[in-house]
Amino acid sequence: MTTQPDMELIQNILQFIGVFVSFSIAYVAYRGVRQTESSSLLRLATAFIFLGFGFLIEGLVGLGNLVVLPISTTEVVVGGLLLETTGYFFLAFSHVVDVLISKRLGAALLVFPVITLTSTQLADILSILSFYFVLYGVVETVYSYARTRKPNTLLIAMGLSLIGVGTFFQWLSLLYQYVGVLSLLQIILQEMGLLILFTPVLSFAVGGSKVNGTV
Amino acid sequence: MAQYRTQVRIIADVLTTAKDNNTEGTGVGVTTLLRKGNMSYARFSKLLSELVGSGLLVELDGDKISKYIISQKGIQFLNAYNAFEDFAQSFGLRL
Repeated sequence: MTTQPDMELIQNILQFIGVFVSFSIAYVAYRGVRQTESSSLLRLATAFIFLGFGFLIEGLVGLGNLVVLPISTTEVVVGGLLLETTGYFFLAFSHVVDVLISKRLGAALLVFPVITLTSTQLADILSILSFYFVLYGVVETVYSYARTRKPNTLLIAMGLSLIGVGTFFQWLSLLYQYVGVLSLLQIILQEMGLLILFTPVLSFAVGGSKVNGTV
Repeated sequence: MAQYRTQVRIIADVLTTAKDNNTEGTGVGVTTLLRKGNMSYARFSKLLSELVGSGLLVELDGDKISKYIISQKGIQFLNAYNAFEDFAQSFGLRL
C-alpha cells in the first residue's frame, strides 16, 4: 500500500520530469526563434518557460513539504499555479494568433472560457483557467491535424488532452482536498501528457544533426 | 482560401525558388523569383535587397539582367526552416 509520503515523493519526481520536458521544449523552440526569428516559436518557448518554472516551484514546494523546509507557503503554491496558468495561456494564445493571422474563424473560440466561477479561491480560478486554455489548445491542434495530417500533431493533441484532464483533476483536488488520489492522478496524467509533448523534441534531436551540421 | 504568409515563410519560398530553379547553375531571374514570391514588385525589390544584404542570396551580374543564386548560408537557413516548421506543426502552429 502506498503511504502518503511515498505518494508525495512520486508526485515530486513527476513534477521534476515535467520541469525537464518543459525546458527541453522551450530550448528547442528558442533555438528555432534564433534561427528563423519565428514569432510562433517565440510564443511556444515563452509558454514552456512559464510551465517549466511553474512545475519547478510546485516541485520545490512539494519537496519542502517532504523534508520540512520553510518554503511551503500558500503564496508560493499560488505563484507556481499562476506561472503554470500563464504558460497554458501562452499556448492557447499561440493558437489564437495563428487563427487570426490565417483569417479563419476558430471554431474553438466558441468553447473559450464560458463558465460561471462560483469559487473565489485564486488557486481554483487558476486551475480552471488552465483547463480552458489547454482545452482550446487541444481543439486547435486537432483542427491543425485535420489540415496537415501529421502524426506528430495528433500525438501532441493527445498529450494536451491528457494535460487537460490532469488540470481538471487538479481543480477537483483543490475542491476535494481529502481525496488524496486526485492530486496523484492529476500529476500522472499531466506528466504522461508532457512526455508525449516531448516526442517532437526527440524526433528533432534525432533529425537534428541535419540542422546542427549546417547551421 | 488564400493563406496568410508570415515574413519568414515568404523568405523561405523565395529561397526555395532560387534553389529549385537554378538547374543550370546560372542563377534565377527576378521574374521567376517574383512570380513565386507572389507579391508586389516594390515589396519584392526591398526583400531581394535584404536577402542579398544578409548573404542568403548572391547576386550574379549578367549581361542584361541580374540573376540570383542561393548561398550556402541560404541553404542552411532553408534546412533550419524546414526542421523548425516541422516542429511548430507538431504543436499545431505555423512558422
